[in-house]
Amino acid sequence: MIEEDTESVPPRAQSVTTRSLDVLSSEWTKLRSIRSTYWTFLIAAVTAIGGSAIVTSASAHRGRSPFDPLATIFVAWLEYPVLAFGILGVLVFTSEYGTGVIRTTFTAVPQRRSVLAAKVGVVGMVTLVFGEVLAFASFLLSDLARGNHGISLFHAGVAEAVGAAGFSLFVVAMIGLGVGSMVRHTAGAIAALPALIYLPLVVLSLPSPWDHRIGSFTLLMAAYQSVSLHAQPDLLSPTLSLFVLAAWAIIPLLIASVMISRRDV
Amino acid sequence: MIQVDLLTKHFGSVVALDGLSFSVRPGHVTGFLGPNGAGKTTTMRIILGLNAPTSGSALVDGRPYEGIIRPLYEVGSLLDANALHPGRSAWHHLLWVAQSNGIGRRRVSDVMALTGLEDVAKRRVKGFSLGMKQRLGIAAALLGDPPTLVFDEPANGLDPEGIHWIRELFKKLAGEGRTVFVSSHLMSEMALTADHLVIIGRGKVLADAPTEQFVDANAHSDVLVKSPHANELATKLKARGAAVVDEGSDAIAVTGMEAAAIADLAAGLGIAVHELSPRHASLEQAYLDITRDSTEFTTGTAAQKSLADQ
Repeated sequence: MIEEDTESVPPRAQSVTTRSLDVLSSEWTKLRSIRSTYWTFLIAAVTAIGGSAIVTSASAHRGRSPFDPLATIFVAWLEYPVLAFGILGVLVFTSEYGTGVIRTTFTAVPQRRSVLAAKVGVVGMVTLVFGEVLAFASFLLSDLARGNHGISLFHAGVAEAVGAAGFSLFVVAMIGLGVGSMVRHTAGAIAALPALIYLPLVVLSLPSPWDHRIGSFTLLMAAYQSVSLHAQPDLLSPTLSLFVLAAWAIIPLLIASVMISRRDV
Repeated sequence: MIQVDLLTKHFGSVVALDGLSFSVRPGHVTGFLGPNGAGKTTTMRIILGLNAPTSGSALVDGRPYEGIIRPLYEVGSLLDANALHPGRSAWHHLLWVAQSNGIGRRRVSDVMALTGLEDVAKRRVKGFSLGMKQRLGIAAALLGDPPTLVFDEPANGLDPEGIHWIRELFKKLAGEGRTVFVSSHLMSEMALTADHLVIIGRGKVLADAPTEQFVDANAHSDVLVKSPHANELATKLKARGAAVVDEGSDAIAVTGMEAAAIADLAAGLGIAVHELSPRHASLEQAYLDITRDSTEFTTGTAAQKSLADQ
């Protein structure tokens, strides 16, 4: 229906790839040019690595071997690092809605889904890389704290499980992004985030076997299962749990992509 | 060229725009006037694809805004100068806006120079005065060197120097053949800046005319004459074709005859004149008259209504 007027559109505008790259570089500039980004990552790093080291050395001092040496490393992540990544995702949208910058964004790029895609690309890349760095750093530090009771990264399944921990942080950041774009207000979105992450765990109080059958699909049980060395047999397998995690990232973003074009700003 | 055709917008049960139609032509500064709540901002947001109209259409150069690829080359806009992230520097703000449309860094430096922002480029926006934010917003609007420009209340909060600067800039941009569409709620400001006026109230177009024509039609002037023999003078003036309105206590308002001619006539008749003063009804007054019925909240109306109800 809309025909491109080739005379008035600059030549570079013809390629969809070039256009996508331009929106990506624009979002990258936005993310790196405000201090809150760096603060969030600093808080995530300190709480992730510090928390892991404390939990592991505490269990090592108690002198008993934990049920799952790998999953124990990442127990401390359930609170602050997870929330820090989620809030980072939330703020990417709500800071724009709160200041009114979103109108500048959407007048510069009226194809709103391209904006969402670019934010997913930039925030996704950064949180995935940083999440993996934190996961492997936490593992190595905890391994040092544990001394010679350690487990090798080269044991079967260990590297995959550590990688899954980093992936979980990325997933939470994507949920934050989706929630932020839908809720629009920082306070509301930050309140909704823990509700999405922690509240589904109430299904664990269902009578067996439904607690674990349904519980397998909660974000935290799926994350726990995928970072465990000894996966629990009555939950989904670590590989399937990774798919559950991926679904937790994809579904909010899909809903967001439908809603983002429909509403006034 | 902006074409607005039978635009309506409902927010729930509130009718913000009620069948608005007008066009904004290139080569002119078109002033978009109306009292607060008249629908100016809503109209501009619809033109820029931010709000969806309930019905009707708004086209820029024949296309809906949402369909424009890289719109910064087509339309530059500034809706709210305060819409900035306080922690981001002016340079980074302009950079991300430019990058989103594939505009290079050199152009970012150019528009900073054009708006006099080079010295504060690396400073965070947090400490900026409203005037500096307005300049930054205008710099962003100029990035793509667009043929159409849309500004919502750009003079708000500017000091006299800033207002002068912005007025000259708009005239220069229109002089280059661009379409310049500027909203304001101040007639005095628009009378100096715009050469065409679109006045709206309660979501309807009240006037759409060249500024000069609007002034001629609405800014009528008369002559106040005071004389102990006002009645006698009035009769003679009417006989010469002037229109006379009695203003009480020996005063009359005369239209259709110059002050000098009235004085000559009075002297010829031997009638003493105590006061003879030409009066010009201001454009502001004409604007107030036009929009009075459509003002959302008129001072005193609510109080009068509640008295009437009792």
